Amino acid sequence: MTDYGHDLLFGTFVTPAPGAVELAQTADRAGLDLVTFQDHPYQPAFYDTWTLLSYVAAQTSRIRVSGNVLNLPLRPPAPLARAAASLDILSGGRFELGIGAGGFQDAIAAMGGRKLTPAQSVDALAEGIAIIRDLWDTDTRSRVNHDGTYYNVVGAKRGPAPAHDIAVWVGAYKPKMLALTGALGDGWLPTMEYVPGGPAGLPDANARIDEAALSAGRDPAAVRRLMNFMRMDGPPSSWIDHFADLALNHGISAFIIGGDDHAMAEALAAEVAPAVRELVKRERGA
Amino acid sequence: MTSLDLALASPEELVAAARDGDVVLRDSGEGLDPLTTAVWLAGRTSGTKIGVSFEASSDAMREKTLDSLETLTGGRVVVDADPAAARALRRDGIDYDGVPVPALEPGDRSFRGRRSTYLRGGSPGLVLQPRTPSEVAAALEFARRHRHLPLGLRSGGHGISGRSTNDGGLVIDVSGMNTIEVLDPSARLVRVGPGATWKQVAVSLDKYDWALGSGDYGGVGVGGLATAGGIGLLSRAHGLTIDHLRAVELVLADGTPVRASATENPDLFWAMRGAGANFGVATAFEFEVDEVREVGWAKLVLVSADLEESLKQYGAVARNAPRDTTVFLVTGPPRQGQSVIQLYGMVDSDDPDVVISRLTPFASIGMLAQQQVVITRYADVMGEAADVGPEGQHGRGEPVARSAFVPVLTDAFARDAARLLRSGQVYYFQLRHMGGAITDVDPGEMAFSYRTPEMSVAAMGGDRQGLDSQFDRLAAHFDGLYLSFDTDLRPERVADAFPPPVLARLRSLKHRYDPTNLFRDNFNITPSTPFTPFATEENS
Ligand SMILES: Cc1cc2nc3c(=O)[nH]c(=O)nc-3n(C[C@H](O)[C@H](O)[C@H](O)COP(=O)(O)OP(=O)(O)OC[C@H]3O[C@@H](n4cnc5c(N)ncnc54)[C@H](O)[C@@H]3O)c2cc1C
Repeated sequence: MTDYGHDLLFGTFVTPAPGAVELAQTADRAGLDLVTFQDHPYQPAFYDTWTLLSYVAAQTSRIRVSGNVLNLPLRPPAPLARAAASLDILSGGRFELGIGAGGFQDAIAAMGGRKLTPAQSVDALAEGIAIIRDLWDTDTRSRVNHDGTYYNVVGAKRGPAPAHDIAVWVGAYKPKMLALTGALGDGWLPTMEYVPGGPAGLPDANARIDEAALSAGRDPAAVRRLMNFMRMDGPPSSWIDHFADLALNHGISAFIIGGDDHAMAEALAAEVAPAVRELVKRERGA
Repeated sequence: MTSLDLALASPEELVAAARDGDVVLRDSGEGLDPLTTAVWLAGRTSGTKIGVSFEASSDAMREKTLDSLETLTGGRVVVDADPAAARALRRDGIDYDGVPVPALEPGDRSFRGRRSTYLRGGSPGLVLQPRTPSEVAAALEFARRHRHLPLGLRSGGHGISGRSTNDGGLVIDVSGMNTIEVLDPSARLVRVGPGATWKQVAVSLDKYDWALGSGDYGGVGVGGLATAGGIGLLSRAHGLTIDHLRAVELVLADGTPVRASATENPDLFWAMRGAGANFGVATAFEFEVDEVREVGWAKLVLVSADLEESLKQYGAVARNAPRDTTVFLVTGPPRQGQSVIQLYGMVDSDDPDVVISRLTPFASIGMLAQQQVVITRYADVMGEAADVGPEGQHGRGEPVARSAFVPVLTDAFARDAARLLRSGQVYYFQLRHMGGAITDVDPGEMAFSYRTPEMSVAAMGGDRQGLDSQFDRLAAHFDGLYLSFDTDLRPERVADAFPPPVLARLRSLKHRYDPTNLFRDNFNITPSTPFTPFATEENS
């Protein structure tokens, strides 16, 4: 039994292509908590995810938006911090920062990004998150300096300050990335289809995140466990027990579903979310 | 135009200013991020333009962002392209300072949506956009000064054989000439610009209970299809699109505007119906359209473990179908021995019983897996095509396609076609049932002269050599081809498109109307050098 006690979030995982804005509006109207977009700038059929996020934030009114996950190698940390804080301010505190180390090195290089080994890209992400958090922190007026292996920031002014505490959610699968998530992240944002071992792999991944959090002196519960599902089969009503089980036994507290389907989003909000919340509340209360 | 400082303005002030009119965002490196703010403002307002500069992590990321800005905000976020950078994108050998008509060059924002077509990626050096026949003439004068460059003609941008985009060359894009008007209601005579799409034509005719058969996809443009043929869902009931053409206006290579009909320049009228792209830029078409009310429209999905047998049965059923019925077959490579066959067809009847009785025999050529049959309007069927928005078309690469006419769908053809599909070189294979009203027209009446084949075959592949090597093996079954569906550039294809006497006549007309071969982007007919015992202008 693992449950970090977070409130439950429900959202959609939308392909950043024509139709995405309408899907986000449906999710917003339906009352979902999150609408998220992958970030593969080298995929010609896709929009630039940052442009899309900015536009979607303006075209929705209450739903939170996030990259799922943004590609750090192509979105260097200092400009990203400014853009993210700006979007949070403009949207009234509705932006969260899903971020990853960037997977497809050749494609990244073709877009003008730097080619790193997987190990290097994990280190680069750790540096990037530190820079982003520093730039967001306007409690002190000192300039930001980072003399890193991958990123250098010299005497940067802080700010703007985000409208709310933007959560940093990390897309992670391998041990090094899971450790980084536990040490630095506010959330873990993987995709079920890619988790090694599927649901059976969750205890191991959670344990690694917990351990890393503890050794960084953090409460493991400070790291929310989110989960994408690229596809869910069967009618939405059949997902309820599965989600409640993942929430109560694997600590998953956000369910983000792909499939680009308006009716699915509506059913997720109207049927699945309340039923899962009810089941989980009952069990947690017991 | 209001200029706003991003370090000072609040979101509310930004929105208020942008609601009042166009704004420019000024960035001093502090406060809100310029790009994010510009896009957000575009999403919060409508109509106003937002000027901004931004930095990207690389040129490719900048391009990507610019693409998305154009699409998502409909061009309302205006990025002040540095004029020097825009000029750097110009191509060699083009007189950019002497462009006589509205045009787009690579540094222009709207160029992105016009560089490629539906199926083909391109990067021309200049897209000329004439709006009138005299501007077409001016564009052609410019093209004649640029003989060293490829020249593409573009209307609806759905060319397959027609290279309506290119690399570093010129494109004459007449998509703006897209008006549709009824000339004579009693004669059902309509006049249509080349830039209209068949979806737009269908909508305009629908209110009169009229239709003009085109192809099977409403996004295709009038200019390319009505100069080549137009084998479509109403062809067996009402003939090809070009069978309805009563007159066409075009601008010749030397800039002369001409009208061609049965009585005016009849030779040219003959050539324009089948080989039009070789003779001029069509600027208006006049069609006599048909009375068409509701039609039956069916999409069936069948599964077959024996494709050869299913193809034979399709042939047999199609052969016996009345002419009100046109049914096309589409399939791809079999998977685990199973072929998925899609049939889609139109019955020119609003009687459900007739529609069902016409379609029932087709439904038995495999195992019926899905069916959708409706009584609807031709305009609704054409309307299934997506509209092209401000983002334009973004095809990539080169389509690889072959076409052929099959006089009779024989057992041997079915066998070899099934083998072709098993080869894995064809991902899209289509049989179009011809006959019916197509055969009513005398083969000599126009340059399109294959009136009697039972089937038109089209195959698309991923690899030029792979497709050709497999498709060529079926040559014994073929007689001719429909040029619109073929991208093979080997010279023998032109001879397949036009039987010898037709090709000879076309070549001599080409010599008369386009002696320097300016128009050569689509099944190029080379001008014949006429036999003359005395020196002429050309050979002296
Ligand atoms: C999805 C799809 C479905 C199709 N279905 C059918 C079908 O059912 N039946 C059928 O018959 N065809 C069909 N076609 C083929 C289509 O008719 C041709 O590709 C046609 O050339 C497209 O016309 P366009 O104006 O859209 O294309 P464009 O790309 O604008 O032009 C293609 C070519 O046509 C010529 N051309 C264009 N405009 C002019 C002009 N104003 N004057 C002279 N020549 C001009 C040029 O050679 C040019 O390269 C289909 C094509 C596609 C992509």
